[in-house]
Amino acid sequence: MIRLEHVSRRWPEFSITDVTLEVTEGQYLAIVGPTGAGKTLLLELLLGVHNPDRGRIFVGGKDVTVLPPEKRGIGMVYQDYLVFPHLNVEQNLAFGLRYQRGSRESASQKVSETARLLGIDHLMHRYQYTLSGGEKQRVAIGRALVTEPRVLLLDEPLSALDRSTARRLRTELKSLHASKKLTVVHVTHDLSEARQMGDSIALMNDGELNFLGAAADLLRRPPTLFAAKFIGAVNVYRARFEGEDSERQVVAGPIKAQPAMAKASGGNTGMVHLIVHPDEVCLLPGETAAGPNLLRGEVTRVADEGNYVEVLIRIEDLPEPLTVYISRQSARAQMPKLGASVTADVGNAVHVLCE
Amino acid sequence: MSATDKKQAEGFSYRQVSAFSHLLVFAPLFIVFLLFGRYAIAGAILAAGILAARLAGKPQRRKSDRPLVVFSIVGGLLILFIVLPILNLLFTTDPARIAAMARDSSVRSALFLTLGAAAASTFISLLFGIPLAYVLAREQFAGKAAVEGIVDMPVVIPHTIAGIALLFIFGRAGIVGAPLNASFHVVLSDSFWGIVLAMVFVGMPFVVNHSRDGFLKVDPRMENVARSLGAGFLGAFFRVTIPLTWRALLSGAIMTWARAISEFGSVAVIAYYPRTINTLLFEWYNFFGYTYTKPLAALLLLVALAIFVTLRAIPRLTKAEHDQT
Repeated sequence: MIRLEHVSRRWPEFSITDVTLEVTEGQYLAIVGPTGAGKTLLLELLLGVHNPDRGRIFVGGKDVTVLPPEKRGIGMVYQDYLVFPHLNVEQNLAFGLRYQRGSRESASQKVSETARLLGIDHLMHRYQYTLSGGEKQRVAIGRALVTEPRVLLLDEPLSALDRSTARRLRTELKSLHASKKLTVVHVTHDLSEARQMGDSIALMNDGELNFLGAAADLLRRPPTLFAAKFIGAVNVYRARFEGEDSERQVVAGPIKAQPAMAKASGGNTGMVHLIVHPDEVCLLPGETAAGPNLLRGEVTRVADEGNYVEVLIRIEDLPEPLTVYISRQSARAQMPKLGASVTADVGNAVHVLCE
Repeated sequence: MSATDKKQAEGFSYRQVSAFSHLLVFAPLFIVFLLFGRYAIAGAILAAGILAARLAGKPQRRKSDRPLVVFSIVGGLLILFIVLPILNLLFTTDPARIAAMARDSSVRSALFLTLGAAAASTFISLLFGIPLAYVLAREQFAGKAAVEGIVDMPVVIPHTIAGIALLFIFGRAGIVGAPLNASFHVVLSDSFWGIVLAMVFVGMPFVVNHSRDGFLKVDPRMENVARSLGAGFLGAFFRVTIPLTWRALLSGAIMTWARAISEFGSVAVIAYYPRTINTLLFEWYNFFGYTYTKPLAALLLLVALAIFVTLRAIPRLTKAEHDQT
């Protein structure tokens, strides 16, 4: 439905660099990234408020790169609602219908249907200053939906709302997406919101796309050090290549991994990191027999984090302690004690990160 | 003392000082009218002063307020400097003579000419000024500061000089004026349109600056939303931007109109005839002296004050909450 091909745009103080991504029809893409990553600008490039210096943008198979916003069939909802203050709710909803073919009756029918769908039909004659944040956001969403856009762009639509309203609107947005078979691009800085909302996730940083794919992939196999930091990865270790050809390994202290990816085996010039997933490490009491990625160490910290128990283990030759999450059930069976020696079975819970 | 207590205490002392300032502003006026022998007016001012002070709270002096008291007295003198000549002109002129002046045909035609030319110049300023203001509000470009400087230039150029400069362009032998005269027999100097030209020159900055400030207050993303809904550039401009800025546009227009009405220097240079009300006043003053001119001056003052009051009242009367905060 949407395709961006090598889209770049320079502004004096910021630039979007070589973004290529595709959103299929009916897909819900969540673009996530820190503040100032260029997420909103990317949406506005899609909307047509800005034009790219290079690259092409397709919507529904049609090249819209140089088309103005009004010709793209894309709806936009901003974080701060931007309900037209000089119009009441009904007039806001009907705003876009003037530019569409159709009778006045069908227009007012569309407006009331949309209002009912979003639960704002009792607010029709109110102005924005009398509405709550959630109501305003529903008006903004409804105003975009009335015109039946091919694509709906949401720029941090839930960030200005209080928690419970945001949670309710999340569910509503998901069901709207399903019932209307909408293609949605949803920008947020909140990873958990992106995971919950998006069929797939795009990660942006500093005007560039770092990752595009399933949320699980981003969490298991972050492609860059930035991505690893953004998802809150613990256990990130500088590593190096060892051995030749088929024997080649990535090594960080006692941890070893096979460079599975072609890119990793290609060269050893760039930086290599090993990431150990803390929830996939098995903790064995005492010192067991030596083996690959069986690390002996001493428990230095045990913290109950609510849903899991975090255990820090100091391991020889590892610059920083290894963090391991164990479930409450296994912690109840055998709570690791401070200072106890344990063996961490890292196994294959290792991701090799080459940049 | 808790934070809230402190806040309340500050608010309290502010009320006290402002009540005191009321008296200080009213006191010099009261004294002046007392000296003039206008006891009724003096009494009215005294009453107004007491009422204002009462409404604001009981005066209470504190040591720390002393500098503010001095500030109030000094400031009150400046207010007096403005108010005294105006009130004096209005109250010492025979109302019958002002009324007679309003019926005088030469005064009437000069007045209507002035109001009409000012209206035409305001219209032209809006027509060209609003697009310029929008560009200045929305676009960043090299030389923008220079353009903004040029917009403000008519305010600092002495207006007689502006008139002369305009004459070299639009006068009978001017760069634009000569071909206009030769081809279309249009003469701009000493004509209605000459007056309008001068008025546009001096009044245009108000329209541009007010409109630009108004446009700056409208979030450009609001226009983006309108465009995404199919409105297009002009649709967004006329259905969103203009409705949200009409108050700024109106106040700019009224300021331009008022400035045009009061313009004399450049108008007298480029078009002494037909006589605007200011030219007429100047001529009468030169020929007949100030006593003769006084009723006309008073009449003009009333007109100007009426415009001023309208200017201040319209935005307040129509202030509705749903117009962008």
